[in-house]
Amino acid sequence: MNRVAVALWNPIVAKEYRSRMRTWRSPVAMTVYILLLGGLGWAIFSAMSASARNVFSGSPANYGQALFLSLVIFQMVLLAFITPALTAGAISSERERQTIDLLFVTKLPSFSILWGKLLASMSFVFLLLLLSVPIFSLVFLFGGIELDQVLAAFLVTAVAALTLGVIGIACSTAFRRTLPATVAAYGASFILLAGSLLYGLLFPTSIDPNATAAPAPPAVSYLSPLLPLITIGTSQPVTWYGIGSGFSSGGGGGMMCSGTPGGGQQCVPLYANGKGVASPIYRNPPQPTGATIPSGLFAGWQYWQATVTLQLLISLAALVLSVILIPPTRHLPWQRRTRAAAGGS
Amino acid sequence: MIAVQGLTKVYGHRTALDAVSFEVPKGEIFGFVGPNGAGKTTTLRILASLLEPTAGRAFVDGADVMRQPDLVHDRLGYMPDFFGVYDQLTATEYLDFYAACYRIPRARRTKIAADLLELVGLADRRDQSVDTLSRGLKQRLCLARALVHDPAVLLLDEPASGLDPRARVEMREILKELQRMGKTIVISSHILPELTELCTMIGIIDQGRMRATGPVQDVIRELTSGRRLRIMVMGRRDEAVAILKALPSIRTVDMINGAIEAQYEGDDATAASILQALTGAGISVSGFSQLEGGLEDAFLKATSEDVG
Repeated sequence: MNRVAVALWNPIVAKEYRSRMRTWRSPVAMTVYILLLGGLGWAIFSAMSASARNVFSGSPANYGQALFLSLVIFQMVLLAFITPALTAGAISSERERQTIDLLFVTKLPSFSILWGKLLASMSFVFLLLLLSVPIFSLVFLFGGIELDQVLAAFLVTAVAALTLGVIGIACSTAFRRTLPATVAAYGASFILLAGSLLYGLLFPTSIDPNATAAPAPPAVSYLSPLLPLITIGTSQPVTWYGIGSGFSSGGGGGMMCSGTPGGGQQCVPLYANGKGVASPIYRNPPQPTGATIPSGLFAGWQYWQATVTLQLLISLAALVLSVILIPPTRHLPWQRRTRAAAGGS
Repeated sequence: MIAVQGLTKVYGHRTALDAVSFEVPKGEIFGFVGPNGAGKTTTLRILASLLEPTAGRAFVDGADVMRQPDLVHDRLGYMPDFFGVYDQLTATEYLDFYAACYRIPRARRTKIAADLLELVGLADRRDQSVDTLSRGLKQRLCLARALVHDPAVLLLDEPASGLDPRARVEMREILKELQRMGKTIVISSHILPELTELCTMIGIIDQGRMRATGPVQDVIRELTSGRRLRIMVMGRRDEAVAILKALPSIRTVDMINGAIEAQYEGDDATAASILQALTGAGISVSGFSQLEGGLEDAFLKATSEDVG
């Protein structure tokens, strides 16, 4: 095997697979996961069948879309609960059992220990994702969802789970005990999933009536995988979130603008006393098409592309942090200076 | 084989190791003795490249523990004082896992695991889950784990702690076997009689400072003033005591459990002349032996001295 293969495939993965699959917890976790996801799918499916029989409202394509949206978001939330639990104890539990020193004295580099733990935990998460595929195939009974949408949604979910996994490993490396590591990992998942969306609510993008492009939510909110999952499911740009009403001081009195449900803007000229006139001016800036981000840092990107890029960057940062923190004798610049001073005295 | 030079480790304001130096030649069993918190584990962890010293250097088989940790790990087997085992693995799988971590090819791993289980007497438990093994058996398995890559040096931190007397004897026999195989072994322990019998060299450490180091008998002689004799006589005991007290080499004479214990200054020839003096005066000597186990005295003396 070459060096890369040796670094990526290591005995920890095989050992983790073996010990994970020998416990009763893994099959139970898989069963519960499928039951929860399948249960939700079945509940929505039956509700839709019932309403379709009684009243002829909407098309099956809408049903398919609604079912798909519910399933992808529920799956993401489930994985946000499962992944930190799998990875937050990866390194800290080895420390607690005092088995980590036994690994450090072998020929395994510290990175391989981290990578092995990450690969073993993420394999289980990806196995759960794979198990959910048959449930997602229900969506195709209705139509309205294309295969590329399903693939994009799975990619976003998998990358988000990977990010949560790497953050869990980083917490597990940074904290000596599993309990604080788990709390920190769940905190980080919450910030990633919900905190980033909250940011968009608190600090929405102000509407500039003179802008040539449609407004888009602030870039921070793309950290949340929920936003791209919704845009993939609906094939619509985000106009209902992260875009606030703003004041513009152009043209003397200024205007107060707010987004309209169609993605356009409605601006009201203001008098000096701040009261708007009765007849608003409707502006119609270029409409965003499909699920493309119309403006801002990621202008022209698909929502899911922005999310996947941001998440991968976070994963990389968390992985680098773990690699720095894990070795038993680590050499940080300030520590090296202290040691040299102590050694020289 | 092991060289430690001026090793110092400072944790905040506490000095755990203060310029500790010692050497262990190849094939020796070095007993590292000291009270709890003396710095034994700190020294062993630095030797295993698991801890960075504040100052000083240490070498294992010529490899610098700080600059060449990979070489050190290759040449050294380490058994910590406390360790856990993984659940859901059998004894064979446990050893196979660590052998794989040492990059030993799969084809050789099966044989190595079987041989090591045989060596530590766990051959009949090869398929037993490691978390169900007793503490003594886990210790033996951990010793086997430290040997998977056939290291030249073994660092054993309290290998006999928590073991019952029988398990301790078995562990000692395994260590003697390993010495015959040419391994250099460092054992930290506070069970002194065991070390006297097993070790060829000894180092006494207290409050982070090395108080004495060298071959066991030399250290004992250096630290205890004089050697002791136990003499049994047939009657005429008072006369025998009087003769002993008159000899210039005798320092003290005590009666303990009906036997005479005499402390003397000198070597084996002096002991022979003491026996001659007794028999020459017509005393019937039924027992005459040099007392072993002076390590305890040496240890107490070394650790009670206030060096500050």
